[in-house]
Amino acid sequence: MPIVKPKRSRPTTDMTAMCDMAFMLLSFFIMTAQFKQNDAASIETPTSISGIKVPDTDIMTISLDKAGKVFFGIDNQEHRVAMLDNIGEVYGMTFSDREKKAFSLMPNFGMPVNQLKSFLALRPEQQKALKQPGMPVDSSANPQTNQLAQWIFNARKANNNLRIAVKGDNLSKFPSFKNVLSSLQSQNINKFNLITGSEAPPAGWTND
Amino acid sequence: MAEIDSGGGGGKHKGGGKVRGKKASTRVDMTPMVDLGFLLITFFILATTLNKPTSMTLNVPDKTEKQEETEPIKASKVMTVFLGQNNEVHYIFGKAANENPDLKTVRFGQELRDAIQTNKSKVGADFVVVIKPTTKSTYRNMVDILDEMAITKTKRYALVDQLTPDENKLIADKLK
Repeated sequence: MPIVKPKRSRPTTDMTAMCDMAFMLLSFFIMTAQFKQNDAASIETPTSISGIKVPDTDIMTISLDKAGKVFFGIDNQEHRVAMLDNIGEVYGMTFSDREKKAFSLMPNFGMPVNQLKSFLALRPEQQKALKQPGMPVDSSANPQTNQLAQWIFNARKANNNLRIAVKGDNLSKFPSFKNVLSSLQSQNINKFNLITGSEAPPAGWTND
Repeated sequence: MAEIDSGGGGGKHKGGGKVRGKKASTRVDMTPMVDLGFLLITFFILATTLNKPTSMTLNVPDKTEKQEETEPIKASKVMTVFLGQNNEVHYIFGKAANENPDLKTVRFGQELRDAIQTNKSKVGADFVVVIKPTTKSTYRNMVDILDEMAITKTKRYALVDQLTPDENKLIADKLK
């Protein structure tokens, strides 16, 4: 009879269960994923107790960063191109297919129209590195000094169902918001959303 | 670590100590797969935006619409809130700006909420708040005060971006 030797093996762990769990979590995150968009400016929004969710589609976002610079963007890529065509008509410019393609990939931007062409010619990483000067906006109706109003008008021409969201930074001053407000009001847009973070209402508060 | 286990295929020795080739196990080393799984999880966690932003709706009066002649609201029912610098809130209540009202200063939060609630209970259903952000206030102040309107359930409020000369004088006089 051969002597039965105790089997020597290194301690092993059964990884199957761990693997199962990892992939289950993975599939959960893939399914619920909504990617961060690389926005032109980082904006820290104030918080509110409002529980209304921001819609995902048909939305125009006007962002205000802390220095008061204004950025503009719409969600749909096809509408972005249509909007650019409309803007080209207003300012007497034509855009090549390449520029249109580059423009359709920008979730938001803050460039004056006269610098837009040179900006679109840059490579994506150069675009990212460039500090955008912000969209010219004031309370007048002049298409040169208040370009935001033109973009809003032409975006709505491209997609009539656009809802409007204003996303302001905590530290942006009120006068810059006032300019955005007057650009909207001058086009008879009197209802819009302010994007905020969520915050718990005070204890005992009920919505009625 | 998980290793290929050589335990399979035992019990078939027919004596004689004949050395047989080790039978390959069907076990697979899962370690790299788990590594990859967790790596992808980490990526997706970092790449997603978790708390979706909420939004508050803001309705502003129609500027183009012809202003109907309405009876002016009595100053005794109006609380005028000025948003000043450094997150300070100044308010007058019960008197118009040219009647030498008492300009009080509060901070955002409970102090402001209490002030609104007190004044509201003095007036009742006709209570009106006029919000006047000054040029020194921030966007956050405006959102906070609108939020305060929602919390105190004040239904009648107006956001006015222009200060009257009387109000400018009042603020200049009382706030040094």
